[in-house]
Amino acid sequence: MGRGFPFETGKSSEGELLISFTTPLTYETAAEIWQSVSTLASRKENASLVLDLSAVSKVDSAGAALLRSIQGLCERKGVRLRTQSIQPPIKHFLEFLEREKPKKDKPSPPSGSMLERFGAFLIEQAAEFRDFARFCGSVFAVMAGSIRHPAKFRWAESFYYLQLAGSNAMTILFLIMFLLGVVMTFQAAIQLRQFGANIYVADLVSLALARELAPVFTAMLLAGRSGSAFAAEIGTMKVGEELDALSVMGFNLPEFITLPKVLALMIAAPLLTMWANFAGLVGGIAVSSVSLDLTPYSFMYEVYTTIEFSDIAGGLLKTEVFAILIALVGCFRGFQTSMGADSVGRQTTAAVVSGLFLIIFADAILTVIYYFLGW
Amino acid sequence: MPADSANNSTSERAICAENVSLGYGDRTILKDVSFCVEQGQIVTVLGGSGSGKSTLMKGLIGLLKPTKGRVRLYGKDIFETGAEAWLEWARRRIGVLFQSGALIGSLTLGENIALPIREFSNVPKEILPEIVRLKLEMVRLGGYESYYPAELSGGMKKRAGLARAIALDPKTLFCDEPTEGLDPVISAEMDNLLMELNRVLGITMVVVTHDLPSIKAISDWSIMVDGEARGIIATGPPNELENSSDSRVYDFFHRIARPVNSERR
Ligand SMILES: Nc1ncnc2c1ncn2[C@@H]1O[C@H](COP(=O)(O)OP(=O)(O)OP(=O)(O)O)[C@@H](O)[C@H]1O
Ligand SMILES: [Mg+2]
Repeated sequence: MGRGFPFETGKSSEGELLISFTTPLTYETAAEIWQSVSTLASRKENASLVLDLSAVSKVDSAGAALLRSIQGLCERKGVRLRTQSIQPPIKHFLEFLEREKPKKDKPSPPSGSMLERFGAFLIEQAAEFRDFARFCGSVFAVMAGSIRHPAKFRWAESFYYLQLAGSNAMTILFLIMFLLGVVMTFQAAIQLRQFGANIYVADLVSLALARELAPVFTAMLLAGRSGSAFAAEIGTMKVGEELDALSVMGFNLPEFITLPKVLALMIAAPLLTMWANFAGLVGGIAVSSVSLDLTPYSFMYEVYTTIEFSDIAGGLLKTEVFAILIALVGCFRGFQTSMGADSVGRQTTAAVVSGLFLIIFADAILTVIYYFLGW
Repeated sequence: MPADSANNSTSERAICAENVSLGYGDRTILKDVSFCVEQGQIVTVLGGSGSGKSTLMKGLIGLLKPTKGRVRLYGKDIFETGAEAWLEWARRRIGVLFQSGALIGSLTLGENIALPIREFSNVPKEILPEIVRLKLEMVRLGGYESYYPAELSGGMKKRAGLARAIALDPKTLFCDEPTEGLDPVISAEMDNLLMELNRVLGITMVVVTHDLPSIKAISDWSIMVDGEARGIIATGPPNELENSSDSRVYDFFHRIARPVNSERR
């Protein structure tokens, strides 16, 4: 017990433990006082306590809370407690704080067993999927309307998003696909060189790009760049009650907000996929002409003889499906935002995660369909 | 404490603005504003909507750097080079209620209020919830600990913002329209709360408001700013300003609408 101890103890005339505070009860002293008083109150021999506040010149909120905590502690321990000699201004302050204490509390969420929570999770997922399906339905409905009246459509908005999602993504997409082309060519070359089949590197790289890699990588980039941006934009509008304002003004939100974004991605995705094919081939040509003794001409000629129209078209069709899914899920997550900035963050993350999941899921289904169609 | 270290004539002054000009970009909102707030006073800042009251408050708490002049907090220039550490120290002794409430959306009300207390004081964890409850009761939000800001009405957010601003019993409290959006009864209660905090804990207050009853109830002193004059057009106790000969001040206190053609902007 160091110097300047915040209170003195003694016995009152009735033999109770008397605690006379010697310092103001404030944020600075509350911790020390609480520690000592709670130890004293917990001792068996102290059945009743008297707090003497005659020397207390100041009580702040922490001091008031301290007195309340001591009171609560004494009630729980069955210790009788009484305060005495409070200076009038402090007494007034404490009474002011005691005015009226409304009691109401929010029911806490039920916490069930592991199995229950897993069940709840599944139900939630099913409901979410149903909501998403409904959302897609509403967008397709307004899309059909827009096709009938294209003049009413907000083209300027679409071109804005086309620029953001499309042309602004070209540099990074080129870089990614070029490097992918380089890596693939090297990997293929190691195997094929053993059989002197260098030239088939071109077949392998170009087929993989056109049918699978270019569409999937483009879609992943779109999900990361644009799906998330859509969710964040719509989410922020939701938080600021902008969406509410728009809908009471009579705007159809799927048409006004979602459609331009979906259309922008639908236009951007196939173009970007072609660009990705090109970048991948440039990577392949670069490696094969430097280290595989293939001229660019022979590489391209091999590609020309191998690749069929259906390879390219199948890839572009895939991209189109991915693009629609990414745009829809991005907007859907944005609309799902509840109040608060953290919710925007969560929905943005969810937009990317759901986007990636949908890409892979749709890719699997489309690949199976293509297989049966013989594409 | 800063008041002790500054042993000069400004030591009783909590806040001093000296020829302060404030603006955004090239646009000057307030020009050459000077005034002082004594410790323990409640000063209200009055003025029409868009006249620069919030801007002035941002200048006083160091969120907006003056383009000219100095703001002194307990005698020390808050934008002096090398004063960054001091400003941080001082800010923990300042409470600010923003016009929007500015609660952290990802935290419940209880956590919002506990945040500064847990961070900047060493109160034991047994007492912390008690302080939080006390603060919420002060603003008549007892029992709302577990609500998120998004689940509250506008006026409730305002009150919760006030509870957070006074969480640490600051030496100085800045409030931007504490009674905006509140019904007359709760407005009066908030006025009482501010006066009680001022009286018992000696908290100096700068309160931005254009709520007439509230101005008359709480002000020791008022400062009136005007958008067109870009500065202070009157200072004094509210009952003096009420009978001012300046028509702009008189109209403000007597709710007289200005003729349409005199409106600029
Ligand atoms: N962040 C900002 N950037 C640019 N200009 C601003 C900014 N904030 C405010 N202003 C301008 O400064 C002027 C004063 O605004 P301020 O918010 O200080 O008004 P106010 O007196 O608080 O009004 P109210 O009573 O409506 O809250 C306004 O004309 C506004 O256009
Ligand atoms: Mg304002």
